[in-house]
Amino acid sequence: MSWGEFPFFAIPAALCWLLAGIGACRHQTGPRACVYIAHSAMVVGLVLFAVFIALFWQTLSRPPLRTMGETRLWYAFFMAGVGYFVWCRWRYAWMLLLSALVASVFIAINLLKPEIHSIALRPALQSFFFIPHVIIYIIAYALFGATTLAACVLLVRRKQGQDSDELLAFIDNIVHVGFGFLALGLLLGAVWAKEAWGHYWSWDPKEALAFVTGAAWLVYIHLRHRGLKSNAVIWALPISFILLLLGWFGTALFPGSSLHLYS
Amino acid sequence: MIKNAPLGTSESILFVVGIVLGGFLLQWVVGYFDFGLLHTPGNFIALGILAALIGAGVYFQDSPFVRWFAGIPMAIALIAALLVFGLFMDLTPQVSRLAPNTNDAVSRLGFRMVTSSWPFVLLYGTTLIALGITSFKRLVRFSRRDIAFLCNHLGLWVLMVSAGLGAADMFRVVMNVERGQTERTVYSADGKSLQLPISVTLKDFVMEEYPPSLTILDHQRGVSQSKEAAEYFQIDTQRTAGRLGDWLITVEEYVHDAVRIGDSYRAYPMPVATPAAKVAARHLRTHETRTGWVCSGGSMPDFISVLVLDERHTLVMTVPEPKRYASSVTILAEGGEPIDAILEVNQPVKVGDWRVYQYGYDTAAGKQSRYSAIELVFDPWLLPAQIGMGIMAAGAILLVWNGAGKRRESK
Repeated sequence: MSWGEFPFFAIPAALCWLLAGIGACRHQTGPRACVYIAHSAMVVGLVLFAVFIALFWQTLSRPPLRTMGETRLWYAFFMAGVGYFVWCRWRYAWMLLLSALVASVFIAINLLKPEIHSIALRPALQSFFFIPHVIIYIIAYALFGATTLAACVLLVRRKQGQDSDELLAFIDNIVHVGFGFLALGLLLGAVWAKEAWGHYWSWDPKEALAFVTGAAWLVYIHLRHRGLKSNAVIWALPISFILLLLGWFGTALFPGSSLHLYS
Repeated sequence: MIKNAPLGTSESILFVVGIVLGGFLLQWVVGYFDFGLLHTPGNFIALGILAALIGAGVYFQDSPFVRWFAGIPMAIALIAALLVFGLFMDLTPQVSRLAPNTNDAVSRLGFRMVTSSWPFVLLYGTTLIALGITSFKRLVRFSRRDIAFLCNHLGLWVLMVSAGLGAADMFRVVMNVERGQTERTVYSADGKSLQLPISVTLKDFVMEEYPPSLTILDHQRGVSQSKEAAEYFQIDTQRTAGRLGDWLITVEEYVHDAVRIGDSYRAYPMPVATPAAKVAARHLRTHETRTGWVCSGGSMPDFISVLVLDERHTLVMTVPEPKRYASSVTILAEGGEPIDAILEVNQPVKVGDWRVYQYGYDTAAGKQSRYSAIELVFDPWLLPAQIGMGIMAAGAILLVWNGAGKRRESK
């Protein structure tokens, strides 16, 4: 199995995932059959993709983790898998569609840009922790992005005099689920850092910002456990998201060098 | 309820602000917190004091003071304060040791080494007490409903105790070990030597490199040819042709371990061997073609070859990136048997409380490096830290599964 056969597995898998995402969204208003279609399409897509990875692994006789192209295989697979899990548990259809779209983008990059398949992965990145660490963070970020949007909607609605406890309950739920993913991503990073850098936590600039981000969401979670729900409390969400974006993209803006820069 | 208690939210905020201000004052007067105090047995004494305070807190858990101290408003104030100190770490470059006679206000207030500054240490300590009371209070009155809460809080507490109190006992050092040599001596910044209870013998150091890339240099601009970003053509045996600027590049022959013989290159398994490629470059408009060998030279300046395309442009090869590097070593810890191991990035070897890492090599010499840089890390508090992380991971999974759960709302 090689990149030559990749399209025959990846395109059907991506189509299955997208179909599942659309089916799940349709199910909210449409017929019950949509939910079965979503489940079956999702599973078929995941199995197809897993078969390609397994056979490719066998051909390479090493885990496909060495190049950017190989890494994107796992990105696509885990993105779809975790999106499916979140949908199964929480029935957020948009989450399934969103993860299907992101997974398809990873597949599309591999299909359209074959010249970057063999871009070298540095030895420090050649680890089993790399993919779950990054994917779980992406999921957490996606969920936090959703809460931020919902928080803005809630603030606007309140301005118009329509408070919504339902929306607030939705926000709280996603913040907790998102924080769970954030904590898992952080812990996986810590375990990996012990293997790669000698210590599980070094207050590297990216780590310091990861701590800041986590602390910001924790403040919101505790404010809500106190039962507070004023506008000031809701504002904690967009502010936390700005800190999160700083941590994601902005490490290079700060003074001090980070071990997390791999450009 | 707590709202009617004499101490409430504003007192929590005032208390935390007081800790921070007191910390800054202390920092200004006595300087950075000396983590040396927490060397064993110092950290066990600190743990004893912490346990006594938490024990007292759990015993008097119904008193208004303890309910306030271990309550949610205090937690929020402490988390917010730690968050601000996290931001300080990003806004000021952190150093692991201050240069002598550093006396500017930023350093004196503790911003150069936030984790060793008094306000941070005091906040951390207060958090350990408050979080400890909260966790153990629930542990004592165990209820299955509290499992997620317990995992999240107790796990974090165990991790923070191990990381904080274990920090002083942790010892990290990088040794450059030459091939065939045994090393166990390290030197501190002031030149003192120290004999480690563990020695490392380097039997061999190997390195594999990725095939390099080709790029076009522009003599007038002095940079890579492309207007926006540097363009590189990654040499790949599967894909031998590609565009680079205005030129179509075809790799006619690629030799990964090449030595120069006259104007040509041949495969030869020598330590100085380095990648070389015979390349044809055809201009997309004029169809002019240039053919020749390109080589970055590795450690041999005589091996360097470039392909002149026109008066302004030259095709060159980049220095190959490392794919994998590994050291074959024998590790001997005091009172133990010698252990033969291969050290690789991401694959350290565990010997008792020590972990031995492949850290680096002489990057200027690349494959020819005479030594391998090996990092030794001693961390007797690693196991409790890992237990804490494991408990936290369980808590995180429960958060993902349970979501927000049911809660009361204030009217």
